Amino acid sequence: MELRELIRDWKQVKEQWTVSGCEEQPVVSLSPEHLTVEVAEGGAAHLVILCHEPRTSELKLHLAEGASLTVNLLFTAEAFLSLEADQEAHSSLKMTSVELGSANARLTINLRGRDAESEVNGVFLTGGEEHAELMIRTNHLAADCRSRSIARGVAGGKSVGRFEGMVYVAQDAQRTDAEQQNRNLLLSQKARIETMPQLEIYADDVKCSHGATVGQMDQEAVYYMRQRGMDEQQARRLQIVGFVGDLVMHCNEDALCDAVLKLMEQKLETM
Amino acid sequence: MLKVKDLHASVDGKEILCGINLEVKAGEVHAIMGPNGSGKSTLASVLAGNEKFTVTQGEVEFEGRNLLESSIEERARMGLFLGFQYPVEIPGVTMANFMKIAVNEQRKFRGEEPLTAAEFLKLMREKAKVVELDAKLTSRAVNEGFSGGEKKKNEIFQMAMLDPKLAILDETDSGLDIDALRIVATGVTKLHTEENATVVITHYQRLLDYIVPDYVHVLYKGRIIYTGDKSLALKLEKEGYDWLINDYKE
Repeated sequence: MELRELIRDWKQVKEQWTVSGCEEQPVVSLSPEHLTVEVAEGGAAHLVILCHEPRTSELKLHLAEGASLTVNLLFTAEAFLSLEADQEAHSSLKMTSVELGSANARLTINLRGRDAESEVNGVFLTGGEEHAELMIRTNHLAADCRSRSIARGVAGGKSVGRFEGMVYVAQDAQRTDAEQQNRNLLLSQKARIETMPQLEIYADDVKCSHGATVGQMDQEAVYYMRQRGMDEQQARRLQIVGFVGDLVMHCNEDALCDAVLKLMEQKLETM
Repeated sequence: MLKVKDLHASVDGKEILCGINLEVKAGEVHAIMGPNGSGKSTLASVLAGNEKFTVTQGEVEFEGRNLLESSIEERARMGLFLGFQYPVEIPGVTMANFMKIAVNEQRKFRGEEPLTAAEFLKLMREKAKVVELDAKLTSRAVNEGFSGGEKKKNEIFQMAMLDPKLAILDETDSGLDIDALRIVATGVTKLHTEENATVVITHYQRLLDYIVPDYVHVLYKGRIIYTGDKSLALKLEKEGYDWLINDYKE
């Protein structure tokens, strides 16, 4: 199903959304300028944000104790989004961000209470002369929190993709478990990837990992796929979808995952 | 089905195949043996259309068509299957998805309708049995995290799915334990009919206990220097290649 069709009947939120219990259905927000989301103690919700207009969005999320929130960000226009999430103890945030073309996503997560966890999966696909940026900053401000930020980028044509990751661990944030990973695929000689995976650690009992790679298409895999009957374009596209696809599949709702994958495939045809 | 005439091929300017002649007819099984570096895998790659190699001379006819003018995927769609010596891992692409696209591409080429999801699942379940492939593997990424044995079983599973006219199996037996070898070889035998043909490239006679060849060819320095029947493989196992190579030098 097309994304637009899928979200047509969903509840829309504009400036303010307060969740007190468990919201079963996902809600959607279309290119919001300012949006504040408050998930009360023990509450659970799913928010989809579609940036389909060239606009600046500012989001503030607050997860109270034990709250959980899933956020899916999708950029289909040249939008600038800055998001800041504050998480209290035992809360859980799961986020995906998919940039299909020029866009800028700046995501900051503050783990303020003990035993909070966050997982951010970010993807950008750029072609032509596009320029995408993804920043994920996780601030571990309390002990026993876990975070995972995984970003994958694919750049073709003369495009530029940029990832900036930061895991900050404050002095009191003992027993932090943080993982930061960025992998990229360059499709052409003139495309460019910039990556800055960073750690800043002031506590002494922590487990933190970070890494970044930039690679090219696996020609052996393309050959293998062609030997089974796919043409070169198909083989390349399948490989790219395989490279970023599993991150997109983290978005909780199957129909939504499929719709986003379909948009990604359409995007790849233009790259 | 396949006619190879005076085939020469090189990589980075170095000639690896120096005049191969080979004819494979429907219903036949051919084994290609030979010492390391004799050009066995190169022959398989050149027939599959691997762009790393340059054909400098010769002709290859497959099902009445000029094979050398066809792209890798056209050859595959015409019914040429290569079982890889080192099957490639494709992260993030599930076996099921990969096979579905491959099967439907080949059907499209033959002017057939694509399989529905239900038909495809049924086919996949049926064919997984040929090589006792764990059905769970089909939901995993192509070859990713597969054991050596599973990778080779997976090659034969793909062969079963695609039902090729000509299957070239490049050292499908290497790296297999006795049980996996039996399963893989029995699978290949099950798939053999009077309408298709198989070329197995191997170092070891033991594979040929299961897949009984009509012809055994010895490849040496890019040429087929000797052709015999299945008894040749036994003799090679016992005596090695020296007697042939010495004959050839003289």
